[in-house]
Amino acid sequence: MSAASVRAVAVDAATRRGGWIPDIDARLTHLESPVRDVLAPSLEALADADRITLVPDAHYPFHPSSGMVTDPAVIGSVVAHLERETDAEIAVAGASDDRISFDRTADYLGYTSLLERFDATLVDLADEPRLDEVCSVDGTPVALSVPERLVESTVVVVPSLRPTAAGPVAGAMRTLAASIDCDAKPARVPVATRPIVNPAVAVIDATTAYGGEPVAADVLLAGEPSAVDAVASSLLGRSLEADDALKTVREDEEPVTVEGDVDFDRLRATIPDGDLPPPDSPHPAVSTAYRVYAAVAGDAVPPQLEGSR
Amino acid sequence: MAPTLLNRLTDSSALSLGILGVGNIGLVHLKSAAVMSGVDVVAAADAVPENRDRAECAGVSRTYDDYTTLLASEELDAAVVALPPFLHADAVEQAADAGVDVFVEKPLARSTEEADEMLATAREAGIAVGVDHTLRYQPDMAGVKTAYDEGRVGHVPYASITRLNDGPLGRPPAESAPPSWPLDRDAAGGGSLLELGVHCFDVLEWLFGELEVRDASMGRTLEVDVEDAATVLMDAPETGTTVTLHCGSYQWEQLPEVNTRLRLEGVTGTISNQEHLPENFYAGAAKSALSNVASRFTRDEPDVFGPTFYLQAHYDALADFCNAIRNDEEPPVDGADGRRTLALAEQAYELAARKRDAGADGLETPEVTL
Repeated sequence: MSAASVRAVAVDAATRRGGWIPDIDARLTHLESPVRDVLAPSLEALADADRITLVPDAHYPFHPSSGMVTDPAVIGSVVAHLERETDAEIAVAGASDDRISFDRTADYLGYTSLLERFDATLVDLADEPRLDEVCSVDGTPVALSVPERLVESTVVVVPSLRPTAAGPVAGAMRTLAASIDCDAKPARVPVATRPIVNPAVAVIDATTAYGGEPVAADVLLAGEPSAVDAVASSLLGRSLEADDALKTVREDEEPVTVEGDVDFDRLRATIPDGDLPPPDSPHPAVSTAYRVYAAVAGDAVPPQLEGSR
Repeated sequence: MAPTLLNRLTDSSALSLGILGVGNIGLVHLKSAAVMSGVDVVAAADAVPENRDRAECAGVSRTYDDYTTLLASEELDAAVVALPPFLHADAVEQAADAGVDVFVEKPLARSTEEADEMLATAREAGIAVGVDHTLRYQPDMAGVKTAYDEGRVGHVPYASITRLNDGPLGRPPAESAPPSWPLDRDAAGGGSLLELGVHCFDVLEWLFGELEVRDASMGRTLEVDVEDAATVLMDAPETGTTVTLHCGSYQWEQLPEVNTRLRLEGVTGTISNQEHLPENFYAGAAKSALSNVASRFTRDEPDVFGPTFYLQAHYDALADFCNAIRNDEEPPVDGADGRRTLALAEQAYELAARKRDAGADGLETPEVTL
């Protein structure tokens, strides 16, 4: 596959009622053919691997029909395909963070029970041995602590198609960067990670996308991580110029072409370009105004409107 | 309630109150009580240091890292039990030992069996038990009841209630660590039906009298230990009304929008709680705020949490409890009411389990719908 080419494969929705198939077995069946097709150009690179690590967007147990996480059925289909086509030892990886343990997220999302039907294992990258590395971004050294597994195994990153809270697309590079410890600014981490963790392929799960609201986009996209991120960014209506990480990585690259049986313009029109919902914490001005009102009126300030003082 | 209740009140004319648990709802109770006439919040307890800090910021002079020490150290007239359900029975038992009346957050207990033991302990100690069932205190629900009792739509053969929110996992962006106990059956006693459904049972029996559960189904949209969706079919023999209840913690909630829908389908029309809410939340909130500011000059009491009606309901429920204790009366929503909601939930769980075991269809939804 050319570095500037992304493969798009449609997921047949003709037999589906509504935007979501609740039964995971039915989704696995539904995804078998599209997953095979989208991975076909990468199979040669994956076939020789001893160890393959799949990194889905499993950052929090949001329901997969929201588009906010990778559908575990997509991961199940990829695992099934790779177990058929390779002899590699396969792991599905996520990382605990200060909000929630990966074990808990994996349980709630169904990864734990899903992987019981395969030989693949579930690993928490937060518990894995790490390598300390130093990279240069724009001439500035950046220190990273990277899970050894991501450096020493063949990585397949499988992000969802959604924005981050900050606005840019979550994408392949940021999904990988989420498990890497680094003191640099958030926009630099995906750039610094790139020379150290080099996925064989990135597969964007756009079966359901989120752009302010979910939509059944019914497509999988695969290619080099920054290329699929550029396509994902375009699908979510984001400008590459506004994404510092993507701009840095792709500034010397050729434009990306999308190949496959998908009407890209129609897809772009289908996927909304909105943001995540606003955070629960109120705007500081609202908190201040409410406190003033409460002081004048003798009312109490609801805890939800306190804000940080 | 023991006839000696008034003698137990502290020398001060104010009701001396302790708050056991100052997480989300506990802090609402604390803030409500702090501005309540005739109530003195003397102490709060919470195992989480950040929660104790917030309580201190809210004006509590003494905080404790466990409720046992608070109950042993303070002279209280009453305590608010806003702890996770698995601690309710122990907290009530210790309050009973100290002779302190309790206002218990819902669900009263994790089961009717646990509630029975709790209420027996309270009875023996002569303490009063109130339960925080707040839907009936909301202005929209009160509006529905008034219209219904006035016969505004004639006979009501069918009613439905829906209550949905996003439960402990919340919605994006994920900002904080979700508590684990609400998704642990041993700790919480159940899922959405005990978290949200018990409120619905309470308001439905307040409207229609005693309910009989006919059918139920439980669903899970994630692989969690408890149901995050529950649907219950009931009859209300006294009013001849068939009632459906659906509650769930699977839907993203963005306050101030709250998805609580009550509809009474009558012979001449429909009574909906939506008709008794401000058309625009912010306009309603602003009007309430202005009214409260004006009350400062007319020396009237403000409507506490006036701009947020669902929090105002918590204030009113606690104020009613405190007034009942002060007047040596039974709390208006007491332990028997709380136990009744648990009994209905248990009947629903039992019917749903029986159907699931029998492989029946009907209302049954897929157990795991990831």
